[in-house]
Amino acid sequence: MKRLALVPRWWALAALILAVGAYALWIRFTQGLGGASNLHDTFPWGFWVGIDVLVGVGLAAGGFTIAATVYVLNLKKYEPVSRPSLLTAFLGYLLVTAALVVDIGRPLRLWHPLIMWNPHSVMFEVAWCVTLYTTVLALEFSPLVFEKLGWHWPLRAIRAIYLPLVIAGVLLSTLHQSSLGTLFLIVPEKLHGLWYSPVLPAFFFVSAVAAGLSMSIIESFISSKVFSRRLEHDVLLGIARVTVVVLAVYVTWRFADLIGRGMLPLAFVYSQQSVMFWAEIGFGAILPLMLILASGDKIKERNLFFYALLVVGGFVLNRVNVSMTGMRNIETYFPKWSEVAITMMIITVGILLFGLAVRHLNVLAKSEYLEPGTTPGMGWFPRGAVTAVAVFFVVLVLLVRAAPTRTAIEAQAKPIPAAEALNVQPDFELSHLPKDLTLSGPESSMGKVIFSHELHVGMQEKPDCMQCHANTFGLGFQHSPKLEGQEAWHKACGTCHDGKTASSSVDDETGESCASCHKSE
Amino acid sequence: MAFLIDLTKCIGCEACSLACKQENHLPPGSMDKLSAVTWTTIERHGGVNVKRQCNHCVDPTCVSVCPVAALQKTKLEAVIYDETRCIGCRYCIMACPFDVPKYEWFSTQPRVRKCIHCYPRLERGEQPACTEACPTGAAKYGKREDLLLEAKQRIREAPGRYVDHIYGEHEAGGTCALYLTAVPFEQLGFKQIRTDTTYPHLTWNVLRQLPSVVSVGGVGLAGLWWITHRRMELAEERAKEAAESKREEKGQ
Repeated sequence: MKRLALVPRWWALAALILAVGAYALWIRFTQGLGGASNLHDTFPWGFWVGIDVLVGVGLAAGGFTIAATVYVLNLKKYEPVSRPSLLTAFLGYLLVTAALVVDIGRPLRLWHPLIMWNPHSVMFEVAWCVTLYTTVLALEFSPLVFEKLGWHWPLRAIRAIYLPLVIAGVLLSTLHQSSLGTLFLIVPEKLHGLWYSPVLPAFFFVSAVAAGLSMSIIESFISSKVFSRRLEHDVLLGIARVTVVVLAVYVTWRFADLIGRGMLPLAFVYSQQSVMFWAEIGFGAILPLMLILASGDKIKERNLFFYALLVVGGFVLNRVNVSMTGMRNIETYFPKWSEVAITMMIITVGILLFGLAVRHLNVLAKSEYLEPGTTPGMGWFPRGAVTAVAVFFVVLVLLVRAAPTRTAIEAQAKPIPAAEALNVQPDFELSHLPKDLTLSGPESSMGKVIFSHELHVGMQEKPDCMQCHANTFGLGFQHSPKLEGQEAWHKACGTCHDGKTASSSVDDETGESCASCHKSE
Repeated sequence: MAFLIDLTKCIGCEACSLACKQENHLPPGSMDKLSAVTWTTIERHGGVNVKRQCNHCVDPTCVSVCPVAALQKTKLEAVIYDETRCIGCRYCIMACPFDVPKYEWFSTQPRVRKCIHCYPRLERGEQPACTEACPTGAAKYGKREDLLLEAKQRIREAPGRYVDHIYGEHEAGGTCALYLTAVPFEQLGFKQIRTDTTYPHLTWNVLRQLPSVVSVGGVGLAGLWWITHRRMELAEERAKEAAESKREEKGQ
């Protein structure tokens, strides 16, 4: 009874997230990106690119990894994982597309890259990979729908081309995972030395494989609790072992690269970036690596789930670091509530669709066995693990906010003296004078004033800009009285137009002096 | 075509900024820094006035990153923008080493905004509005090679006057805005960026591997399948043979 009572609470939470997300969406599409996000000109990519796109695509990597294992390497033992990981990948790519609709400024033109080509652009490659791979995933996934509908000939058609499809999917994924890293190769100064590397595309690919495999472990654990369907221990162990090897390669390569580029010392400078770096590498890669290695063959599934969660957490941190923490001007950006709300809505939709597909399609078919006496539901919720992760993130955010910013550290390391006044005299010949200025006042004005530079300079013995521009008018229009209204002009012009040096600028009984400047038509 | 901007001649009158606004029909607003409505500005660093606008790189980063070729480098060196193509991915804003392109963040039909070198004027054979308005010759318009020669000559003729560096000669592989100064550039907010390569090369070196990855990867994967599949077939055959020979033995 207690378990069942928990279910409506989850539905209420989902409904709340969707409602808040819908409101944030409304803001996004009525007030523009500026209204719904804290993005600005010096920080143009933020939470949506970092989480929705980079993380979303990476977590879908289980799809192609498992497909290659089962259909190319013919390791049929892993077949039970292929359908859930395929579903994750398919949903992942659909949701990434949804996120792009939110993030790009003109979503109705999402199709433009397919028609208007620029093969030199990484973004162009990304657009094509997303489109093609989503299509491939839809085809790879379609047998589940055809099975349900009982359509036999399309089923046979898909099966006939399944191997080429899988190979195309693996190639497209390889390109796409790595090209998300290639995107950042163009910002060698903006991205922090701990993350900018010429091999960033390879790092993106390898880390995505580790995260994708970990996602299959997590899915298996959740499926076993929610749907009472699970993978065999042997299969899980196999995935965990491959994950360990991939992680070990990844960590070694990251450090070899840091040393090779001479950037390792940056990891030991106390900064927002180094704190996030160690959180990413230490807790998200080295720790799970050690824990899985130490556990041996008799690893408990619950523990394996937690270790996989760590790997995925480390992966998320890596993408956050590359796209946000490591980028210049990060101190000017923190996601707005609506950015987080839309992302949470997209994740919630993903989870709901996953549940829907599992209930109505044969996703977990080959791994199914119902444990007698267990009630499907959410009562299994691993409070300990999730609480630990939540506490970790809160502590991390606090630690990062307390650490010195990149800008402060770089300014300290290499102080730039303030520019002194020009140490040489300006040397120029006036080629021409600025055009006449027409100053039009309000309706009640005596008429507009046309100010002639030529006339005024002509009265000087030797042309000297500074006679007027040093103090009275300043240099530059924003410092001129123009923006400050007619009183300011009367005062400024009145410096000379005081009735002695030049005609008066203030009203007198005859009104003649007004007309000396104000011309009515 | 290019700009030569001699900071020792700039008096900071902002005639260039105003001319730019008028020429490009930009709405009024603060001209303190580059923005969606200010394409040319005068930055004030101590007593030095620094004119800023798009540098119109020789091999522009923004042009290379745009997925829909909305940004184009024209024959007249101007980097122009076609707002009907732009999808608003903001990769150009992200990638520009000089932080030039700006965005209309609060519009529901946003555009990228930046100096386009007064391209319509160039096509008519005129010079850009900003250089035309400049009363002191601080901003000059001409062919890049000619201006580069002139800049070198100015340094040669008055070596004590100028820092011996033309910003834009090699920065980002060369730009069409060449700067001369008496005060070191780094004190004036000029970014110290790569001079050994153009930025588009950084991504192109990876992107051009794409055909090899697809072809070699495709063949490799198919080969792997062939080996593993054949191995399975053989294993099945062997199992069948073993079963048959067993049956035969039993039959005898």
